[in-house]
Amino acid sequence: MNALNPYIPELATIIETFDETPDVKTFRVVLQDEAKMAAFCFEPGQVAQLSVFGTGESTFVICSPPTRMEYLQFSVMRVGELTHRLHTQKAGDPIGLRAPLGNHFPYKDMQGKDIVFIGGGLGLAPLRTLLLFMLDNRADYGKITLIYGGRTPEHLCFKDELKEWAARGDMRVELTVDTPGEGWQGRTGVVPAVLTELGVRPENAVAVTCGPPIMIRFTLEALGKLGFTDEQIVTTLERRMKCGIGLCGRCNIGEKFVCVDGPVFTQAQLRGLPQEF
Amino acid sequence: MVTRFLKETDLAAVTAAWARDYRVLAPVREGAAIVYRVFSEDMHPFLGRPPTSSAKEALLPQTENLFTYTYRKDHADLTRTEVFLSEALPPEPTLILGPRPCDARGRHLLDRVFLERGVTDPQYKAHSAATLFVTVACTSLQNTCFCHWTGGAMDDETGSDVLLHPLVVGNTGGFVAKAVTLAGEKLLTSLGASLPEATQEMLAKLDERRAKATDPESPSEPVPDLSAVAESFLAVFDDLDFWTDQSARCLSCGVCTYLCPTCSCFNITDENHGLSGRRLRTWDTCMSALYTLEGSGHNPRFSRAHRLRNRVGHKFSYHPREFPQAATEPPSSPSGLEFSCTGCGRCIKSCPVAVDIRRIVLDVIKTATGAAAAHKTAQKAEEAQ
Amino acid sequence: MASESSASALSANEPSVNDSAANESSTNASADRMETLRAKIAAELPNVDFVLAYGRGFDPLHATPVTVRGEKDLDRLIFDPTCVQNLATSLYGLRGKRLGVVVKGCDSRSIVQLLQERLWERENLVIFGLPCEGVLDLAKLRATLDIASARAASFTGSPRDGLLRLTFNDDGGHDGERTREIETKGLLADKCLRCQHPNPLVFDHMIGPETLPQGAQDDYADLAALEKLSTQERFDFWKRQMGRCIRCYACRNACPLCVCKHVCLADSREPHWLSAEATLQEKWLFQVMHALHLAGRCTECGECQRSCPMGIPILLLKRMMNRELKELFNYQAGVSLEAIPPLHTFLMEEDRIKDRGLLW
Repeated sequence: MNALNPYIPELATIIETFDETPDVKTFRVVLQDEAKMAAFCFEPGQVAQLSVFGTGESTFVICSPPTRMEYLQFSVMRVGELTHRLHTQKAGDPIGLRAPLGNHFPYKDMQGKDIVFIGGGLGLAPLRTLLLFMLDNRADYGKITLIYGGRTPEHLCFKDELKEWAARGDMRVELTVDTPGEGWQGRTGVVPAVLTELGVRPENAVAVTCGPPIMIRFTLEALGKLGFTDEQIVTTLERRMKCGIGLCGRCNIGEKFVCVDGPVFTQAQLRGLPQEF
Repeated sequence: MVTRFLKETDLAAVTAAWARDYRVLAPVREGAAIVYRVFSEDMHPFLGRPPTSSAKEALLPQTENLFTYTYRKDHADLTRTEVFLSEALPPEPTLILGPRPCDARGRHLLDRVFLERGVTDPQYKAHSAATLFVTVACTSLQNTCFCHWTGGAMDDETGSDVLLHPLVVGNTGGFVAKAVTLAGEKLLTSLGASLPEATQEMLAKLDERRAKATDPESPSEPVPDLSAVAESFLAVFDDLDFWTDQSARCLSCGVCTYLCPTCSCFNITDENHGLSGRRLRTWDTCMSALYTLEGSGHNPRFSRAHRLRNRVGHKFSYHPREFPQAATEPPSSPSGLEFSCTGCGRCIKSCPVAVDIRRIVLDVIKTATGAAAAHKTAQKAEEAQ
Repeated sequence: MASESSASALSANEPSVNDSAANESSTNASADRMETLRAKIAAELPNVDFVLAYGRGFDPLHATPVTVRGEKDLDRLIFDPTCVQNLATSLYGLRGKRLGVVVKGCDSRSIVQLLQERLWERENLVIFGLPCEGVLDLAKLRATLDIASARAASFTGSPRDGLLRLTFNDDGGHDGERTREIETKGLLADKCLRCQHPNPLVFDHMIGPETLPQGAQDDYADLAALEKLSTQERFDFWKRQMGRCIRCYACRNACPLCVCKHVCLADSREPHWLSAEATLQEKWLFQVMHALHLAGRCTECGECQRSCPMGIPILLLKRMMNRELKELFNYQAGVSLEAIPPLHTFLMEEDRIKDRGLLW
């Protein structure tokens, strides 16, 4: 962040882009100032405001982990004005970056525990940063399970990495899709159903979940039935944001601001807020 | 303390003198409205009634440049572009003439957001440091005024640099000008003889006025007990019928929030012209559906009921909960809470459909109390069974 | 809950007047009519989600729209010359419900237009029509009086030739009070002075008695006065007026026919018609777009101008469009359910538009 003026982005350059799904593109970005890039620190789960000057700014999670700092990675779904423009940007193009913003996953509290990642669609992006961080510090954590679903096999993000993770042997990967295509070897069905079927154990475990609202709703129900308490469930919230520093007002839930007090919340914290998500 | 007397007939000349050193924002009558304009010699400042707009535009302009960007094409390789950013210019020294004590108190609440919440907003800070408030004390409450609910008063000095107390001496109308800050003192002393010392008699009159306004025996406006409102609000938060009834009339326009001295929400947009442009900060309003509309189409506050609830909640529940320590510092309200509201009443007076935030706040407390009582009765009945 | 008691909780400056008693002799608000209105609404309550009607606002000169859900809400109802709002404005945002709504003659024209454009279903609306002899323009009253200290108001006679009696706190700071009587004739809203439809044109229940049109024929004198100015003078006039616009969009949101609301092109970023800057150009462009989009639809209810906190005379723009429409198509919006608004259809050959012989 610019120390003197938090509204002024650092200039950054896109070094690589590739498509994840028909509407999700991944961007790898470095700060133009090498010294600033070398000094850049963040925690898993923190977000950035990316600018395409002339169109505006939007919030994205840094989905690469702080343990791998050659570049910062963002995976962006094409939904609105800014993301449409961002998708037209190519390697070498300049963008703006304000980061790190917001809080982060409570990864220290998770040490020594079994971790269950439950993701849907692009909801895997914030999980990816934590998952990679944990894999890079593998000894600090217990069993790691990833349950990940998408509409079709084509809509799964990070396809190459999914294979890589499944082959590692020190974590379990369960993939599921709503509509399987030819050659699909994973499961068919929604994420919460897989979660229930696997009978994930709540003892000494933490569930980290992110995905579309409908998936989250049924995942929370399923986790509850499996015996997970609200304190054992960690999720991230999305809100329309502008300033990213708790001033512009719009991302408030009660007196909390998702851009500063979030985006990571435990289910217990969310229950204590006015229900306006 | 420096106290001077400013004759009504000298107001334009004194303002003109200040305008040599400051950009002066002065209230003028335009049609049925009283708006702030940058002072020029042909203008007649009007201090007779509270301005239609609040003074926040001096600290948080409706449109403000955050920075300017310029793209430059690489002539050797036209697929390559570079971008350059330049910061906004610092604000000019500004004097705003004619806000009321409720406006000046708004500064304190804007400070909470822009200076105290967490990240310091550099542009707000610069505006605030560069701006003097020459405030006009009130001599009567309009029927939309409720500053006394929120800890204010007709002659409250919070946030002012100079407070002008309207006073008629013999046949001469004018103001006893009291310096509140050092900068205010300089404003008054710099003009030498054109601002004569206020006499003991004038000051005695003001003391008399003050004593009368604060006399516990006098039949002044009773202040309702709002000490439970922050929690009452949360208790009725999920009662959507309540909020639908309160908001069915609401037009979802920006009158209340744009005229409010404490509403500080803003939007950030890029305005592009060819290869360059500006990133702007502009006022935004939580009453608009677009304010929280997400790219996916999801909107956590999709109805007017949700949005009105947020406005009332922010001012009377979220703010006191966010700044609980404020209760122990002056100037909190008689209810012991600091609200994000100074009771200026503009949101009531200018609302096209007469939405009254006082009424809503009282209804919140009443409904929450009623619901709690009903709950207790039900519990008792259950226990009896 | 009576409106008086609701005000008493707010301040000692409450409107101490008993509305029904004080307004007894006013045509707009006779006690009989209020009884009939309450009875009719009570009878319809089981058939609707709620009824939009008028209640007392924060002072005796302000009415405010209220929702009537049950019998307990009935004693909040008022109807007098302070009932300025057009309740048809709230309808579009409440689509999907079955509602009752109280309308004056002018307001009913907005409903006609909404029905014509299929923006509401007639079968989901129960209309309580109230013939009206005029409502106040508070801006006219404010120009002569500091009404913000009025504690009570009462009307006698028809608003056309009756009196408004205002009670103020004594300014001397004593507990006494002073009163003032003002002829309501000079306080009527401009639209009332040219009103041709005082009786609702569409209704399920007419809460009579009906009244005769007393408005003068519209001679567009206001437009003529503006047109006398040179182009530069007219431009300066609008620059001065629009300069104080704060872009709150009360004008848009108060308009019963401006149904795009928050998907308005004023807010659109793609395409990017207006910048977010509060410049004269943006403010002016929006008003022009607003006027153009209402050509042949605007019933001149005047809510846009009344709602403007800055008192900008934006109704002039809509009246300009309406005068053109009248000259070109001999059309007036909102007076016939069967009519098709001229810009919703076309004729191969318009009587009053020359095709200049440019055929395909």
